[in-house]
Amino acid sequence: MELLRNIGRRKLRSALTISGIVIGVLALTTMGAIAENFNALLDGGVKYFSSNVQVGPPDGQSASLLPIAKIDEIKQVEGVATAFPSYTFTAKPGAVQAVSFGFPDLIIAGDPAENDWSVLKTTVAQGHLLDPSSTGHVVLGSTIDKEFKKKVGDTIDLPVRPSDAKPDFVNHTFTVVGILNPTLTAPDTFAYMTTADGQMLLKDSLPISIRNQVDVSQITEAIDVYAKPGTSISGLDSIADRINGQVSGVKATRPSVIVNSFKSGGAIFTAITTAAALLALVIGGLSVVNTMFMAVAERVREIGLKKAVGATTRNIMGEFLLEATLIGAIGGLIGYGLGVIITVVANALTAPGTSTLFLITLRLSLFALGFAVALGAVAGILPAFRAARLDPVTALRNE
Amino acid sequence: MRLVDLRKHYKRGSEIIRALDGVTLDIDKGEFVAVVGRSGSGKTTMLDLIGLLLRPTSGLLLIDDIDTTKLPDRELAHMRAQKVGFVFQEYNLLSGLNVLENVMLPLRYSTTRAGGRERALELLERVDLTDRIKHRPSELSGGQQQRVAIARSMINTPSLILLDEPTGAVDTETAEQLVMLLRRLNKEDQVTIVVVTHDLDIAAQTSRNIRLKDGKVLADERVGSASVA
Repeated sequence: MELLRNIGRRKLRSALTISGIVIGVLALTTMGAIAENFNALLDGGVKYFSSNVQVGPPDGQSASLLPIAKIDEIKQVEGVATAFPSYTFTAKPGAVQAVSFGFPDLIIAGDPAENDWSVLKTTVAQGHLLDPSSTGHVVLGSTIDKEFKKKVGDTIDLPVRPSDAKPDFVNHTFTVVGILNPTLTAPDTFAYMTTADGQMLLKDSLPISIRNQVDVSQITEAIDVYAKPGTSISGLDSIADRINGQVSGVKATRPSVIVNSFKSGGAIFTAITTAAALLALVIGGLSVVNTMFMAVAERVREIGLKKAVGATTRNIMGEFLLEATLIGAIGGLIGYGLGVIITVVANALTAPGTSTLFLITLRLSLFALGFAVALGAVAGILPAFRAARLDPVTALRNE
Repeated sequence: MRLVDLRKHYKRGSEIIRALDGVTLDIDKGEFVAVVGRSGSGKTTMLDLIGLLLRPTSGLLLIDDIDTTKLPDRELAHMRAQKVGFVFQEYNLLSGLNVLENVMLPLRYSTTRAGGRERALELLERVDLTDRIKHRPSELSGGQQQRVAIARSMINTPSLILLDEPTGAVDTETAEQLVMLLRRLNKEDQVTIVVVTHDLDIAAQTSRNIRLKDGKVLADERVGSASVA
């Protein structure tokens, strides 16, 4: 109680000091929430790509087309447990996606059984996952579902017809059979369909001149290769090397290469945002140092009296440290609270179907609040030390 | 309490200031002592030494047969909390605390806190401030503030109360009342009181006057008139 009264003694000064911490923690919370959001997206990528080997056409091949028979060849490679064909199409052809913190809307076609092998599992919030033998069905990720406002049983035309579609543009009507739970990463903006439907869309995407000359049932865009569960990323790298050595006409990418590029992107982003926010906090911390030094100067007689009535050096040090810590904690709580409100409102105002920008995690919350408290405590050390070392005789007779 | 050849010397440049210069005396339990002398005679230095706020340059200072000159800072702080009560000329009450909280302040640094609130209320009753316990110091007169300071000095039931010019900031009538209060506490609680003053009228109402000059004891006299009105 006395601590709060001490802080309240100089209301304007305390308010300005606390404001410094508030701004710092607000910056840390909001910028940290952007970094956390970005990291969650990247973590999905890291998780997915560290569980399989991506096989595509060899370098230099313009079209992403592979004979589906390559799957059987790849399955013969030592360490390979299974392999699936994979097709990817843009869900909104012609849409401009400049700078975005989310993945674009994509149509992913393949064998639903792949979900059992992938580390990045998807689960349905409504309806059910795809039946491998079905056609004309689609399962929507949570974000793309919000964008098109669909519920199970509704139909959706995919790919979405662009406003300036050419006369030969073709799309198909699919029935929504399932809506996925949010994953905070790639699957949220994906529409999933079976291999047969993927091959149908592949055919539609081919130039008219060759469209009817190609048997799309014998073609895949890419192959996702899985080893037995629990295989390390270096084990998957070795499998990629063996595929490249033993199977012609394909290019297997080492998972570690993809994973490392995701991780380095996330690390740079986190470093930039965190550094900017920490800078704001350090400035706030300096204002706490200043305030506490002034508090010591103003309360010299009080310190002298407390020593006279039995306070030890440690008692005085503790009281001033606690006061500085409380300033940090109050500033931290207000800054964090404002940060949460801003991020929640900003996320709520994000257009439906667009990936949100902020993600408040427990880790970020603990860091923001913990840092504010620690900053107050650290900023209080020097002033508290000066207070505790005051000579009681001099302090008592200070004018 | 025993002071044996107690000295406190300061260095000011190349000059040595002998603030207290070889004082030897005993103060018995329950005595009401006035330390008098001119400015610079060493009164306040002696009070600071007895109150364990200062360390002597040499000599012995025994309180309850404990040689305090050998004690570490932490032990000195504990002794101040348990055995010594202070009253200052400027009261030194904390403006952020009310009367009751000011009286209870020393309990915060004491090992015996049980029953502290009841004792504070009892002391405030004895100094006739029961109706002011929630007031802030700024809402009290000088005499009332000094009575709060006296109550605060007694909260830990010390064996020794030290007062530095306690009536220096109040009018004559209030000063008289404060001295009467001190005499009553001295008699009722058998607490030893040492008061530093330049006011000879106050000194005359104590049981013993120690006169200092240039850091030495010039005179040490018993005063016979001390009696509670």
